[in-house]
Amino acid sequence: MADTKHAVRGEPALATPPRTSRARRSARARLTPKLGRFALFALPGLLAYGLFVLLPILMTGYYSFTNRNPFNPPTEFVGFRNYVTLASDPEFLQALANTVIITLIVTVLANVGGLLIAMLLDRPSKLYLALRGVFFTPVVLSSVVISVIWRSVLTDDGLLNSALRGLGVANPPGWLSDPELALYSIAWIITWQMLGFCVVVYLAGLQGVPRELQEAAAIDGAGGLARFRNVTWPMLAPALTINTVMLLITGFKAYDQIQVITNGGPGTGATATMAFQVVKEAFVGNRIGYSSALAAVMLALVAGVSVVVLRVLQRREVTR
Amino acid sequence: MRRSTFVRRSIALTVTSMLVAAGCGMGTQEPSGAPAASGAAAEVELSFLVFETPNLNAAFWDAAIARATAKVPGVKIKKLVTPNVDRTAYAKQLDAAGNLPDILQSVNPAGFAEAGKLAPFTPEELANFTAPAAGAIDGKVYQLPYNTQVIPVVYYNKDQFSKAGITATPTTYQELLDASAKLKKAGFTAMIVSGGGADTWADMYPLTGTVATDVYKKTPDWLVQRRTGAVKFSDPDFVKAAGKIADLAKNGYIDKAGLSRSYADGEQAFRDGKGAMYPMGSWFATSADNNKPSFEIGAFPWPSDDGSPVTPTFTGGGTLVSSSAKNVELAKKWALAFDEDKENNDAFVKADGSIPAIKGYVPPTDMGPVYQATVAIYDQGMKDGSIVNAFSQEAGDASLPPGLADAAATAVQDLITGKKTAEEFAAYLDEQYAKATQ
Repeated sequence: MADTKHAVRGEPALATPPRTSRARRSARARLTPKLGRFALFALPGLLAYGLFVLLPILMTGYYSFTNRNPFNPPTEFVGFRNYVTLASDPEFLQALANTVIITLIVTVLANVGGLLIAMLLDRPSKLYLALRGVFFTPVVLSSVVISVIWRSVLTDDGLLNSALRGLGVANPPGWLSDPELALYSIAWIITWQMLGFCVVVYLAGLQGVPRELQEAAAIDGAGGLARFRNVTWPMLAPALTINTVMLLITGFKAYDQIQVITNGGPGTGATATMAFQVVKEAFVGNRIGYSSALAAVMLALVAGVSVVVLRVLQRREVTR
Repeated sequence: MRRSTFVRRSIALTVTSMLVAAGCGMGTQEPSGAPAASGAAAEVELSFLVFETPNLNAAFWDAAIARATAKVPGVKIKKLVTPNVDRTAYAKQLDAAGNLPDILQSVNPAGFAEAGKLAPFTPEELANFTAPAAGAIDGKVYQLPYNTQVIPVVYYNKDQFSKAGITATPTTYQELLDASAKLKKAGFTAMIVSGGGADTWADMYPLTGTVATDVYKKTPDWLVQRRTGAVKFSDPDFVKAAGKIADLAKNGYIDKAGLSRSYADGEQAFRDGKGAMYPMGSWFATSADNNKPSFEIGAFPWPSDDGSPVTPTFTGGGTLVSSSAKNVELAKKWALAFDEDKENNDAFVKADGSIPAIKGYVPPTDMGPVYQATVAIYDQGMKDGSIVNAFSQEAGDASLPPGLADAAATAVQDLITGKKTAEEFAAYLDEQYAKATQ
């Protein structure tokens, strides 16, 4: 038992005889040609990753310290000026606030809704199996398709307001035209799209909860709520981690829905997110350098928040 | 030994393939004006960026491209379609990726031209155009001035006007307000304004009208003066023009909820009788004629305070050629063939209500009543000498800096929703102007 524990930690098990230097040389000699072959197989993947992920990130980092504007050369090094400007740019600050609001709403609503629906669907029946497919459909649809569908529902002449007018509501809300509402409409659409993903992950988690534990808790007199709190919920910790991190990333990089449905409006920045602002600064304002600084901040923020949340939630998985 | 040889050969093969691929990539960026590889007989493929609207659909572009290509041997056109109507933003994205198309349709040349990314047309090449210097940047014309548009024309629903007791179209701004009040009282939305989705630009037209009557009428070169700093958006004339839009919305004459409608949805809303007036560019005319709603449509120019005529127009909007096109001379030849072709212009007139600015051009005789009414407004403007620029649509030296038209269109929504006052709107534009010209 003790040996197994040591082995898990990466230390040599006590029963394992020490390797001689000759044996090590022999193992290395056998491995060296294999390494070359492994490298060869890994090369295309590494090249693609380097070219399409690492290089653009490095270039973005470099451009963020310049005043690059393809329509106004030459490009000059400006140090941290772009970052300093960002800190007091009201458009960036509004985009940051919008992004945080969308992310919070999406993370909470999709998690709660996904868990509730997963618990309802966690039954062995063909109907529930079919319903799982229905709930998962938005996940596999393109964000643009979803945005076009929801725009037709939420515009003033859309399905929702037509229905409300039919019910006698004279002035139904401007879901997309009211600056106070549009952001929440966008958050709802992203939540709707991600709900199916959360349902599937929670369903997988629910199906991994040992039935014996539930039965033992029931025999001990635990009611439905107590069983959920003390048995099911702790066992769903890995599912919660996956969902939360995925939803955070989805919220932080929200762009497609905004571009298609509101174009950042109505008005100045009502629904603009950081990702939207990056594209706007780069391709409408031609400020590639400034836009790169924005993208670098966004990358740092997404990575930072994701790592912290991942650590916190994973610690919960271990301690439980 | 054999294994390591295999590995070395494989690496060599991979590196060679990459170099060959890189070489191929570089081969696509031939120097400007490079002739076709093997003489005139060789076919050069040129990319052509177009945009689709309800009026200018895929079939329209395909037919127009085929006609121009038939006139310029040795050219094969590869059509590229923008994801939405904002072709200028898309062209910038393509340019940033090093893929600026060889030929571009109706992209705003501002920024591209100054950065040397476009090929200028010579005076000889522009000999057939009625306004050959329109849209010139530092004396050079980069976009063929092939047509004129009146922006805006106020299209109106004759039935709703009649039901509201309006017997004559407004000729002064006060009369426009009176008519709006009557329409509202009769239960109609006075004015349809769209701008939802990616079509934020579609909300600009009432402001284009008020800037024409309140600013450009008095100071035709206002934007040139703005460039030198002699005037500002926060000056009283411009604030007054913006204030009119804010008041129209505040009084309930502009339908705020319409801001969620895309351009196409806005047009449809007018067709469906959801509003009595539709301030829009003259391109709506043939759409109205070709797809007649259940009511008659009339047209009148945006009225000024004292009733004196003001006709905001834009001349230009044609084809542009990239200075790094595979064959610049051939691309220019094709662009000219495309813009000067009588059948193409007839097609533009019929599909998009264009008023061609080509010498000797006569529109088809079977054009509908809304187009005729629109052209009459333009002809009257020419007769009166009341032609001014159309704000946010300008090209050339008297145009807004890149990105500012988009900023203005976005901020117009704040004016309409009441989020910004006219003064705040003007201050915002000054701030954005400074940002765009840094």
